[in-house]
Amino acid sequence: MKPDVPVVMRGLFGTMLMEIAPNLTAEYSAGSIGIMSMMIFMTAEEYDRAAEIRTAENAEMRALFAEAAGLVEDAGLKAKLAEAAKEKDASLRVSALDKENAALAALLIELQAHVEDSAAPHAAGLEARIWDYLVTAADRRKLTFPALG
Amino acid sequence: MMEDLAPRIAAYLAHRMPAASHVEVSGVSRIPGGASRETYRLTATWEEGGKKMRRPLILRRDPVASLIETERDVEFNAYRAFHPTGLPVPEPLFLETDLKWLDRPFFVMEQIENCQAGSPFNAAPYGALGEKVGRQFWTHLGRIAAADPAKTGFSANMEAIAPDACWKHELDKWEKVIDEDELVPQPIARAAIRWLRRNPPPPPPRVTAVHGDYRTGNFLFDGEGEIRAILDWEMCHLGDPLEDVAWAADPLWAFQQTERPGGMIARAEAFRLWEEASGMKIDPVRLRWWEVFNSLKGLAIWISSGKEYQSGASSDPILAFPSWYCTDVHNRVLAHRLAALSKEARS
Repeated sequence: MKPDVPVVMRGLFGTMLMEIAPNLTAEYSAGSIGIMSMMIFMTAEEYDRAAEIRTAENAEMRALFAEAAGLVEDAGLKAKLAEAAKEKDASLRVSALDKENAALAALLIELQAHVEDSAAPHAAGLEARIWDYLVTAADRRKLTFPALG
Repeated sequence: MMEDLAPRIAAYLAHRMPAASHVEVSGVSRIPGGASRETYRLTATWEEGGKKMRRPLILRRDPVASLIETERDVEFNAYRAFHPTGLPVPEPLFLETDLKWLDRPFFVMEQIENCQAGSPFNAAPYGALGEKVGRQFWTHLGRIAAADPAKTGFSANMEAIAPDACWKHELDKWEKVIDEDELVPQPIARAAIRWLRRNPPPPPPRVTAVHGDYRTGNFLFDGEGEIRAILDWEMCHLGDPLEDVAWAADPLWAFQQTERPGGMIARAEAFRLWEEASGMKIDPVRLRWWEVFNSLKGLAIWISSGKEYQSGASSDPILAFPSWYCTDVHNRVLAHRLAALSKEARS
């Protein structure tokens, strides 16, 4: 698609904010179009990176689970971790990646809660490893707020 | 299409003001903000005792779907409790739960004219007035904490709560919101909940009125930098006053200026003013708990608003935007904070 989607989204953002919003007489409508324009600006960024972010997160969680499967003693959790670690993303559609991401995140919650309650020698290291992942993932998803001034 | 509320509001006002005649309503305009209720600006005119009267009003009506589900009588009662104390809040006028007037419950209050609200998403929301506004902002919050909830009537019809139960009551409430509304698993929110339960805060010296959403953007100021109206009391409750302090200083407002919360005055000076006005000290251990809690409460609100939008209950973009942007900020804030706390606990 040309022009590129992010280029179009940013163009729409500028038009909505600078040309349409000032000409709306209803205060609520002007406010709403301001919010919509900011979301379109954020969509421009997300469109380009969405698949990459999700494939990276899914791969990192699986790597973490592979490592954890060799450490945790709970047999049921160990089996779930080992199983999840073997999977691969079957599709690069964002909806499919999101579905897989949600399943992995649910298992991550279970693993983290288990590790927090553990005094095993590996627990501190694994807990730190999980937080490294969560901090990296949250930073990677940072949305840019448009400069409005 | 915008419904014509003017004649219906006029009929209601005529009903509530039996001494008035020829009641008319004009300039009905929905205004942005107040995401938990539809908010309308309007002007009422009438005749009374041979005189022509005019009063600008605000009407807040329950929405079909909202950012947060709140009771309008609790919000209305907060205005009624604090208005006579001299705290800058609009005068509440009428509370109506009969659906025959405007289809949904609503209340009417005084409109504070010639003022504006600062944007919470602006590094300098008050510009050159930041220092002046900031000093009042923190002093007013201290005054809310200093007020006796029973004497002002704030706690009327509210369930009493013991000081050592405040934290659990709030955490249970917001965890339930996440349980019910999350669209995807939330590892950071869940980690925050576990940390908060493992590390309960000391109790406050006394239970106070808590505004519940006291922050940049939720008050009106005039061109001289005077705060004229503290608004949006819909989440008010009884609790630990540091809940409000931590929310007011939350990194979300004004782009994570942790040393100048909300883009106003320096954090140390803000807290000093609050202590002076409230007569209470800020316990850093308690404050830390409420800071983590508030970022979690924020996540719960944004998660809930995202569900309202995604489910089709509302197509208002004010519900979708925070579910993207504010969730993103609070997830980052909490991830960094909790990672450091985890390291500290394990060392």
